[in-house]
This record gives sequence, C-alpha cells and structure tokens, in this order.
Amino acid sequence: MERAEKVGLGVAAAGHVLLFGLLSVGFLATPNPLKLESKPIDISLVDEVALESASPATTEAPAPSEAPDTGPPEDSAPVPAEAPPEPVPAPPPPAPTPPRPVPPKPEPPRPAPPKPAPKAAPAPAKPAPKAAPKTPAKAAPKAAPKAAPAPASKAPPSKRRSSLAPPNVTPERAGSNAASKSNRPRGSLLGDDFRKSLATSADRGTGQTARTVKVSATAVAGLGDAIARQVQPCANRIPNPGPGANRIRSKLRIRMDPDGSLAARPVLTGQSGVDEENRRYAQRVGELAAAAVIQCAPYKLPAELYKGGWEDIIINYRLPG
Amino acid sequence: MELIANADAATLSPVALFLQADWVVKAVMLGLLAASIWTWAIIWSFIRRLGRVRRETERFESDYRKAADIDAFHKAEAESALPVARVFAAGVAEWRRSTAGRVVDREGTRERLATAMGAAAAAEIDSLSDRLNVLATVGSVAPFVGLFGTVWGIMRSFTAIASQNNSSLAVVAPGIAEALFATAIGLFAAIPAVIAYNRFSHSINRVEARLNRFADGFHATLSRQLDSDR
Repeated sequence: MERAEKVGLGVAAAGHVLLFGLLSVGFLATPNPLKLESKPIDISLVDEVALESASPATTEAPAPSEAPDTGPPEDSAPVPAEAPPEPVPAPPPPAPTPPRPVPPKPEPPRPAPPKPAPKAAPAPAKPAPKAAPKTPAKAAPKAAPKAAPAPASKAPPSKRRSSLAPPNVTPERAGSNAASKSNRPRGSLLGDDFRKSLATSADRGTGQTARTVKVSATAVAGLGDAIARQVQPCANRIPNPGPGANRIRSKLRIRMDPDGSLAARPVLTGQSGVDEENRRYAQRVGELAAAAVIQCAPYKLPAELYKGGWEDIIINYRLPG
Repeated sequence: MELIANADAATLSPVALFLQADWVVKAVMLGLLAASIWTWAIIWSFIRRLGRVRRETERFESDYRKAADIDAFHKAEAESALPVARVFAAGVAEWRRSTAGRVVDREGTRERLATAMGAAAAAEIDSLSDRLNVLATVGSVAPFVGLFGTVWGIMRSFTAIASQNNSSLAVVAPGIAEALFATAIGLFAAIPAVIAYNRFSHSINRVEARLNRFADGFHATLSRQLDSDR
C-alpha cells in the first residue's frame, strides 16, 4: 500500500464514521411511524327504525340533573311513584361531587352549607341565576346534588341571607353555589338549571309520562315514514293529475290529537320538484296530498312519541305513480 | 453511543439496527462496511493519482516537444516516476544499448525500441490499474453479500414468528428491518464501486492510449535518428 492509498483509507474511514454518526443522531430520521397508527372506532349497533329505540334515550338524559331538585321535600311524593328510574341515577352524583364545589369557592360561601333553609330558598334561587347567567350552568348541577342528600335544618336562613346577600351577587361562581345550596331543602323545581329542562320539569309537574323535550331526529324520520305508509292506500286511490306530478314533493304540516286523528286540516308549507312540465298542477298536487292525509285520518303511531313528535309534524309527501 | 444503542426499535439508527442483528448478519454488515471503506479509499487515491498523471503528462509532453537535446532532457527527467517518463527512459536506454556497439543493426534496433517502450507502457498501465479489480469485485459481489445477510435475517425473523405464535407486525418488523439493512449496506458499497470502476477504467484507457501515442512518436524520432546516423 502506498502513501496515497493510506491517505485515502483515512479519508474514507472518516467519511463513513461521519455519515453513520449523522444517521445515528437522527439527521435523516424518518417520521415516527406510531403517528400513522389508526385509532379504533367505537361502533354501536342500533335498530334500523328508531320509532321505539330513540325515545328512552332522550328521556334518560334529563333525569339525573333534575333528581336533586325534586328530591326529598314536599314535591317528592309523586315523583318516585311515577318515575321509578329516577332514584337510581340520583344517588351516584352526590359521592363524587362534594369535593368539587369546595375548592373553587372563597371563604364566605363555606359557612353556608350547614345553615340553608327552605323558606329563604326561593328568594335567592331567582337572583342567583340572573346574576350568574351562563357560566355557572356547569357548576350549578354539580353543587345541587350535594344539597339533596342532606336535608338540612331550617334554622338561620334569614340571617345568613341578609349577611351574605351582597357576596352572592358579586362573585358569580360563589353566588350561584351558595344559592343552589340554600334552596335545596325545598325541593323546588326552580333550580339553577331550571332553564335547561323547562319542558321536562313541566311534564313532571303534570304527571305526564313523556318527558322528552324533543323527539330525536331519527324518531321523527321514522314517524314520517310511518305516516307515509299509512297514507299510501288513500293516495293510491287518487287519480294522477298529470305527467310529472309524482316528481313534486309536498311538505305537509300535520297536527294531530293524541288518538291519531287530525286536529286541523293539513297545511301545505312548501313544494319541491316543481318544473316546467308539472307547474300547472303543483297546487292541485298539494291539495290531493292533503286530501289523502285526511282520508286515512286516524293514524296508529307510537303514543310515547306524541309529545314533541307527531303532535305537530311536517312530512314530505310524494304522490305515488 | 450508549444512548443510541438503547434507542427504540422504531428508529432507523444504523447502530441500533446493527446491534439488534444476528451475528451472521453482523459479520455481513461489518464485511460490507469494510468493503465500502476500502472502496472509497481506492476511489480517493485513484482520483489523486490519475489527476496528477494527466497534468504531469501534459507538462512532460510539452517539455519534450520543446527540448532541443534529448540527452539533456533525459538527464533532467531521469528521476521522474511518471509513466510517460518511464516509457521515455526505457526508449533512451534501449537506444543507448543498441547503438553502443560499432555495428548497428538498424532493423533489430527498431524492433527492440518498440518492444522496450511497449513493455514499459504496459508495466506502467498495470501498476496504475492495480486496485481496479477491487472496485470491480466489490461492485459485483457486495449486493449479493448484502442479500445473503437479508435472507438470513428474514429467515431468523420468520423462525421468531413461529416460536412466538404471533405474526403481528411488531414481532416481524424489527427483524426484517435489520435484515434489509444488510442489503442497504451492500448497495451502499456496490454503487460507488461500480461507478468508480467504469470511470477509472475509462481514464486508464485514455492514459494508456496517450502513452502508446507518445511511444510511437518517440519511436519515430529514434528511427529517423538511426537513418540519419548511417
């Protein structure tokens, strides 16, 4: 080996060490393959038609938030009787919640919990939501459950209220907390979250079974299908007013009584699919559709979906043929 | 190095891949790495040497054309290790030996001059292209050696699948990655070697052609001298 080759060997070795060093340090590192991993997706199987299945799901949601408000006192008697599932969801919340309201609170509200009273309650309950309009929406339901399990003494409510009234109004958080605690024993439906479930609480008060504010969209779609199915025999008897008539989709607003009969004449609220060919009898199609709905009048629909469901429903109807 | 050695399997660090490998694959990798270093050493020395030869040959030839006295020029260039200078020296030496006697055999002298200079040129080309065979060997064999390492490593990872009863990618991937690394090193060594081999054999062919041209020209000069000496 001559000199030039020795120099070359040194240079080559140094170059290789440099290159592999750079590769090892991550100079040319590829992106982390872990990022390419696909996350598993939760799949839940539901019934195809949502007539029955969607309703219970919507009724369960409001129940827990309401339970503490209606809990122990005067109103409590009717509630457990007609809604057995309620007590079940209610107990769990108290356990985890007590620690939560405590940390965020400043000192003044602390003394409040042992003292609140039923008589003072209605008064603070109203100012509190107004003073703390949106922010306490989350804090309030958490604080409420705590109040429920401990039906408290009625002793010094007025004193407490008079002394603590100013702080209640100024700090929004604390005020709402204190208010929610002070009104707990009364079991008033006028809780902090009364705005959230106005319709629900009204239902409960009148003792109706359907509790959902609104029937789910899938359920409404199922109702529309059911009505269209039952209208079909009557619609089949209607003569076709002209070519292209069956391309018109009429929106009919139908109002019904709980027994399935029409409460009012169906109102045509709009039409789609109208083109040059069938424009002349678009009006006629709408009238025929309404007539078909009237002919097949008493409809058999799930009773539990009446309120908010087919009580007042808009269906998209198309003449057959 | 310790940190790198402990790096997780997902990285493409060469050191990590090397350390995870089987000993056969390790041997293959080391051999290929040595071949790569040796290849680059040869490439380096060839570039230097061929560049120098080309430059000095040009200078030598221009000096030769300008030289008035060949004996003086030979004396000046006696120490040169340049191929073209060696060929020139061989021609001059043969000329002196052939014309030393009282009777000069012109035809025999011409033949001997041509043979002597041709031999010198061939010897110089031989010594120039000495390491070229290494490049050719590395270029043609390194991919196969790397492939051997890869096949061996993949066989091992398949046996690992069989023994663990688990064919998830996490079991297979590291073994296959480290096995493929052997092929990567093989190609890493082979590609420069092949390119350099073609480049340098071309350069050496040109040097050889140049030497032969010079030898022919010098032979013509000496031959004319023989005729005029009559």
